[in-house]
Amino acid sequence: MATLTAMFFAAQMMNYPIVGGTTAHLLGGPILAITLGPYAGLISTTIILLIQALFFGDGGITTFGANVWNMGVIGVFIPYILCLFIMKTMKNRRGMLIGAFLGALIGDVLAAIFAGLELGLSILSFPYSVPIAVTAMATHHLFIGVGEGIITAMIISVLWKARPDLLQLPKVAPTWMGELPITSGTSEVHK
Amino acid sequence: MNGSKKLLIAGIIISAFFVVIGCVWLSLSAETLDEVAEHFGASESPVWAPPIPDYEIPGLEENLAANIFVGILFTLLILGVTFVAGKALKTGK
Repeated sequence: MATLTAMFFAAQMMNYPIVGGTTAHLLGGPILAITLGPYAGLISTTIILLIQALFFGDGGITTFGANVWNMGVIGVFIPYILCLFIMKTMKNRRGMLIGAFLGALIGDVLAAIFAGLELGLSILSFPYSVPIAVTAMATHHLFIGVGEGIITAMIISVLWKARPDLLQLPKVAPTWMGELPITSGTSEVHK
Repeated sequence: MNGSKKLLIAGIIISAFFVVIGCVWLSLSAETLDEVAEHFGASESPVWAPPIPDYEIPGLEENLAANIFVGILFTLLILGVTFVAGKALKTGK
């Protein structure tokens, strides 16, 4: 948990260019969710956001709760739920990769939609309406989500081959969600 | 050396690599949300003065070595904080 959290803090310093002349960085929520479970992923993301806000002014103090909701809850739980859903029907490497890609993509876009919603509702400090803010955020983060999805699937693919044990760590998840099916059998991992 | 120690060392090395790449690229890039916010006319009115604003030590702005030092120092800090949090969770369980 500590190693992955530190790695994703460092990874968030690596911005890469996307369409429109702006940049994006890996959030890491999907990988944290898939390897550690959504509760542990939420705690890891919250620690990263807290340090960034307190020491670097990145994200902000007054927006901390919103950021935890967007990136910690939505950006972690949605990828886990989607990956879980897909893995229940495709219990193999392909299912895991599709789940990781779609989970990361949809998780990122949903987190951005919530951020747009929050910005649009901040009528005292933000001059544009909810539809404008949501559209702008969702459009930009569609490209970021594709990037996050590709990188997430690549990392999962490497872990599947090189360190399958990391995909089989006990998941800290709500009981109704349960474990990703990958943890139930090592033979599946090596296929 | 057991698997956990190997993973820890590999994680620190990979993180340091991320920090170096990030610091080299960071000065040339802008955050997406900042870009969108500026596009829509929003401005910052901070209520908190962070000690290392925008990952740069005051007086050492655009100093690559200082930025890398900050990145690696805080990566290790997060490693420690999360390790303690993880231990506490395990104990609580």
